[in-house]
Amino acid sequence: MQKEEHPNRHKRQVVQGADMVLNEDQRWSLVDLLAKQTISAGTYKQTVWDVIGELTVKPLTGIPVAFAVLYAFWSVFGSFAGALCTDGFFVKFFDNHFLPWMQAIWPDPNSILYFLFVGDPLADNCFEAFGVLTSGLFIAIGVVLPAVLIFYLMMAILEDSGYLPRLAVLVDTLLHKMGLHGYAIVPTILGLGCNVPAITATRILETKKQRFIMMTLLAIFVPCGAQLGIMLEVIPESVGYVMLFLLIGYVVFGYLLSKIVPGTNPEILIDVPPYHMPQRANITKKLWMRTSGFIINAVPFVLLGVLFINLLYIGGVIQWLSDVFAPVFVHWFGVPKETAGPLIAAFLRKDLAVAQLSNIEMTQYQMISAVVLISIYFPCVATFVVMLKEGWKELLAAVGVLFAVAFIYGGIIHAIGILLGVA
Amino acid sequence: MNTEHNTAQIYIAALGLVTMILGLVDILVWIGFTGGIEFGIMGIAGDDFFRWAWGGLVVFLGGALMLSGCRNVGNIQEFSKVLLGAALVWTIAACDIFAMICENIPAGEEAPEFLNSFAGFVGGFAPPYAPAVILLPFTLVIAYFFYAWGFADES
Amino acid sequence: MSKKAAKILLVGNPNVGKSVIFNRLTGSDAVVSNYPGTTVDYTEGTFISGKQEYTVIDVPGAYSLEARDKAEEVAVRMLHEHRDATVVVVLDATRIERGLYIALETIEMGRSVLIALNMIDMAHDRKISVDDRKLQKLLGVPVVPLTAITGEGIMQLSDMIRKAQASDVKDILARAEGRASEPAQASGCAGC
Repeated sequence: MQKEEHPNRHKRQVVQGADMVLNEDQRWSLVDLLAKQTISAGTYKQTVWDVIGELTVKPLTGIPVAFAVLYAFWSVFGSFAGALCTDGFFVKFFDNHFLPWMQAIWPDPNSILYFLFVGDPLADNCFEAFGVLTSGLFIAIGVVLPAVLIFYLMMAILEDSGYLPRLAVLVDTLLHKMGLHGYAIVPTILGLGCNVPAITATRILETKKQRFIMMTLLAIFVPCGAQLGIMLEVIPESVGYVMLFLLIGYVVFGYLLSKIVPGTNPEILIDVPPYHMPQRANITKKLWMRTSGFIINAVPFVLLGVLFINLLYIGGVIQWLSDVFAPVFVHWFGVPKETAGPLIAAFLRKDLAVAQLSNIEMTQYQMISAVVLISIYFPCVATFVVMLKEGWKELLAAVGVLFAVAFIYGGIIHAIGILLGVA
Repeated sequence: MNTEHNTAQIYIAALGLVTMILGLVDILVWIGFTGGIEFGIMGIAGDDFFRWAWGGLVVFLGGALMLSGCRNVGNIQEFSKVLLGAALVWTIAACDIFAMICENIPAGEEAPEFLNSFAGFVGGFAPPYAPAVILLPFTLVIAYFFYAWGFADES
Repeated sequence: MSKKAAKILLVGNPNVGKSVIFNRLTGSDAVVSNYPGTTVDYTEGTFISGKQEYTVIDVPGAYSLEARDKAEEVAVRMLHEHRDATVVVVLDATRIERGLYIALETIEMGRSVLIALNMIDMAHDRKISVDDRKLQKLLGVPVVPLTAITGEGIMQLSDMIRKAQASDVKDILARAEGRASEPAQASGCAGC
């Protein structure tokens, strides 16, 4: 019976040595013989959970469920990270207590050290100050940590319940048009938490072509949890549009890449495991591992990133870059030339870059364009390193695609803005 | 089918229909047919795409699922659709309630203290409520059917 | 028994619970999720059973030993790099057939094999019964039923590892077709 369940049995090179005794068909018929003699299935009465398991895979009933799951994901994310932690507690703590205290105790507001670590002496909130210990700590702990924590919690529940493979079945048709298959949804959703594990997860895809497309799309169009968290804080009213632009880009460029990139995109039968009640011990373990990983890896990056950018400001590098690239920014992308600074920050940490954007004077549409640009133009340095591990040729190709896409798509978004009369 | 199932079918059909209508109203208010509306303890602000257009769509689809399975609720296939439809409404309602909890724990933005007073916390749960929250007690009846009719039993 | 750590490879289809078994045996923190393909690279850990130290390698899930994706490539590579290792093939008791395929491939390589029949509880819930003694007789390698997620049967598994043995697929075929009644190496497996 199970021959069909074995995906892609044809035209594959057999790698192992000459140990094999049977060919594939003989082996499958032996499996059938063994199974017949050892397995007996009693009459099994279907439970409601089994039926619901099937309903969540069928498009007509499954798509509503997917809508509800994504709604819940985003809603809980916003309520917990935004309303409760950041707005409810951390903004007040950092702006009313920590920032004035730092400004009071750090000596000499005109010194370079003051500029680096505390930032603007007149700032009354932690986004504007932009010092290592003010904005850096606020972004890392006040904004991004709660976002990452709640994201990983929901991610772990989705993973352990067994819903992800069902989502994979649902989106399989769409993803096939993009040269991928349903399982590409797993790295995509992981990437919404952090692109680093997502890049590693692309290995569950079958061919080089699929892995390359997935990796490139991840690096370009999938914003990470840290970036989502800061967007929710800085531009809550525009997050939807940014996500829309990224989603459109993901689909359109996925389709184009599948036409351009050589290689195959074989059908694969998706293995759907049964629903499980997530086990609390496993959830807490994963949550702890990932969150502590974030604290150890990302927090120093945010702080160093602020320091680095402040040094570049002092050295006049950012001013220089802004002037050099001003024509591109202003005329092609339609954003202020000061966007150069955040674009450099984006290489270190995307969350930092978005936070920095919030201090630049611009219209809502320019803000949306700039945030989209920051998302797509280059992966953060940690993602860059894991991509390098997957192969430098792929990385170079991905970076090439990336610049082309950022340039073209940035221009298109500007053009859409002009057509809509909002740019 | 026994009379309990018959009564239940009428109940679920009516509930499904009302749920669909309320979900549709959520979306229509967001599109801008009227401004935000309030009706007794029910309020539809319709100001935010995510909550009202997307959330309204989920409520609408939940109602549609309930309606699609109501003709033969004793059947496990059909009942599962009804249960799934109810679960969609529960999802939206649970998110609304969770949002209220999260918003009411901290004190207001201007207040100097961090935590809300107890009275302030409780006061935050005053009406108006979104349609999904109002539908919650009515749809929980379906969870009762789930246990009462033996669907929850191990086979 | 040698004092040197003996090697064990955990092999099987994706999402049959190899990482759960790995964590149970070694007390490690390998990431476990309910979807196929969680382990894309191998993980190593150690444990001691009967005064023998074992190094366990959690191999990514594979449907066969034809390196079709990166995970299967890793699986094939691990099998070749550790020629002296005992192979524990993990089967999902609710869908044995597809796991048996890779089990046969491993046996055909002449490896010393032990079958871990995981998710027995789930099979029981689904009214599927698997005759593990019959399977053991037919295959000529030890078969241990267990439920890794709760830890049931893990001790038996670690005790049985030293009884893992090679089998000949021609004999298996003969027994399965009813041409030979007794397993050729049954003596070596008498205690299991």
